[in-house]
Amino acid sequence: MKAGKQSFYVDNPVYIRSAYTIVGPKEGESNFDGCFDLVLKNDLWGEKSFEKAESKMHREAIRGAVCLAGLNFDEIDMMLAGDLLNEISASSLAMRYFQVPFVGLYNACSTFSESILLGSALIDAGCARTVTCSTSSHFASAERQYRYPLELGNQRTPTSQWTVTGAGCTVLTANRPTREEDKRARESFEEKLTAMRTENMSNGVCGSEKEQEKGSEEANGKKIKHSNISEGAAKSAKTPFSFRKKEDDRVAPQCDKFYERTRLAKITGGTFGKVVDLGIEDESNMGGAMAPAAADTFFAHLEDTKSSPSDYDAIFTGDLGRFGKEAFEYILSKEGIKLCGTYTDCGASYFKPEQKTFQGGSGAGCVNTVFNGYILKKLENGTLRKVLVLATGALLNKDTPLQKETIPGISHAFVVETEDF
Amino acid sequence: MEYFLTYLKVFAVGGAICCLGQLLINKTKMSSARILVTFMLLGVILEVSGAFSYLKEFASAGVTVPIVGFGSNLAKGALEGASEEGLLGAVKGGMSAVSAGLTSVIVFGFVFALLFKSKSKKI
Amino acid sequence: MNMLSKQEYVDFVKEKSPKSPMWRSMLAAFFVGGLICCVGEGVSDLLKLIFPAMTEEDVATWTTVVMIFAGSFLTAIGVYDKLGHFAGGGSIIPITGFANSVVSPAVEYNREGVFFGVCAKMFVIAGPIIVFGIVASVIVGIIGLFL
Repeated sequence: MKAGKQSFYVDNPVYIRSAYTIVGPKEGESNFDGCFDLVLKNDLWGEKSFEKAESKMHREAIRGAVCLAGLNFDEIDMMLAGDLLNEISASSLAMRYFQVPFVGLYNACSTFSESILLGSALIDAGCARTVTCSTSSHFASAERQYRYPLELGNQRTPTSQWTVTGAGCTVLTANRPTREEDKRARESFEEKLTAMRTENMSNGVCGSEKEQEKGSEEANGKKIKHSNISEGAAKSAKTPFSFRKKEDDRVAPQCDKFYERTRLAKITGGTFGKVVDLGIEDESNMGGAMAPAAADTFFAHLEDTKSSPSDYDAIFTGDLGRFGKEAFEYILSKEGIKLCGTYTDCGASYFKPEQKTFQGGSGAGCVNTVFNGYILKKLENGTLRKVLVLATGALLNKDTPLQKETIPGISHAFVVETEDF
Repeated sequence: MEYFLTYLKVFAVGGAICCLGQLLINKTKMSSARILVTFMLLGVILEVSGAFSYLKEFASAGVTVPIVGFGSNLAKGALEGASEEGLLGAVKGGMSAVSAGLTSVIVFGFVFALLFKSKSKKI
Repeated sequence: MNMLSKQEYVDFVKEKSPKSPMWRSMLAAFFVGGLICCVGEGVSDLLKLIFPAMTEEDVATWTTVVMIFAGSFLTAIGVYDKLGHFAGGGSIIPITGFANSVVSPAVEYNREGVFFGVCAKMFVIAGPIIVFGIVASVIVGIIGLFL
């Protein structure tokens, strides 16, 4: 149902059935250590190029999420996916492996929330029963496409952000899952994933034998990872992760596949954002370019839904970075809104200070992996009840800054609430 | 002692040039290609104005190793060519003076690109 | 979004966005740049020692070639970008930095094949340097005709 100018409510419930995330090694050591389903040891993942690796991550994330949901691919009605590469090639190449209708999306780093919004709208309208929403980004491929070759010895400016190497997939469905179904799906996950790989291979669709070996290797690695999970959590609990010693940036990562799910997350609405450009020219300061768009969507959301920031347990922006977060708060303060304690920026809180990423994480995989890996788990174990996620994107390519264009930003917001499982 | 003094001069002058470059990077957020072009043109100007030979005498590798030296070689070659062979020399002098450097850059680049692949980084 | 004018926001961003640490970066550039120049001096001294018959000009040319080799090799094995991250201008401005700007795209794009990858993309960054250099040398040469 349409609400106000830019927003909508979902009339029929749209449940988040499962989520799966794959991240690179650097992200595995970040503040969200222990939240992800699969951490790669090498971000090339046995492929010949970083683009191929990104595509593989995308593919495996979708496969993982579908397996975790206990579904088969013929039960998926539609796949919404996007990434940052030219002509969203990572998603399109990944989709070769699935016999499912594919809708390609691009809204830079806010593609994830765009896909969630469209997925919920499709399910709400009855056009689909089950959809997957996935995005990916890869540091090395993004660096080469938007910036400089990896080996070039230049200094990144202090306003720059680090593209997150990560892919994640969320399965949205109209069918309310039961506890038993969920438990069964999670228990048979490993088995099903292996079976699915083999099946694809016998069809001649998917890679070589070598790949299977690698896949099983990774699966073993993951098992080890899970058995070490308490140790990892203890280790990370010792490290004080605070940026500029602010309390609200803290996250406590400790999740595995069998985490206790007492609540069921569902998408209840959202706001589509406008393109906002306040004239920022510096392409290495994307946080500054995106903050006005995030604020614009935020205001529109509050106005359309007649809510106030205190209605939400937590508000997350996508990848504004530390400076972008400051700018976002500045714009809000100009309008007389103050977010105290409930506001976090996924990008700014992603990496530890010693990981030297200056402003923090960015990229289509940033908000995706944080939502699927961290926020969703917090929702499902009841820590958070109602959350607003504003993913943000800077709409530029390599040529527009050279043609003296300013950088427009965009932001889409979606609301997640929970109910008893 | 004499060696030490030479190296100290090389270190100081070379370091100062790089320091100037870093100042430009910090102040103007220039990319590395723009920095290199700026300093190469600086070398051309220094050579034409005649200041470069004094600098070279004072700090030898301190000015020839930075890209300033590349620029000065270009200008020097062009000027010599012009005085020896006229117009044709003026056109080809610069290139022939730096041909060894350019050729080696291209050849090494080609060979290493066949042998190595770029690696992802963590910092 | 009505309370904030475009100019006001641009000013805010200009004023508040984080700046490079001036002294630390300049000191790093000074030390690394100075060291690379000293290595260059060392190479030329060594060449003079080994080949006493070599003319001054040949020594200079060989030194350049050796420095370019060193820069290219360090780029190819993935060391130069880390040095550059630390030193900035200190590793960009020496001739090794020029070699880095040629070799890094060549190594980066070898996944697109030799023809349109390595060869075509080799001068993505160093192209302007060569073009500016050649144009400037021709201008200087023509001026030289009238001197």
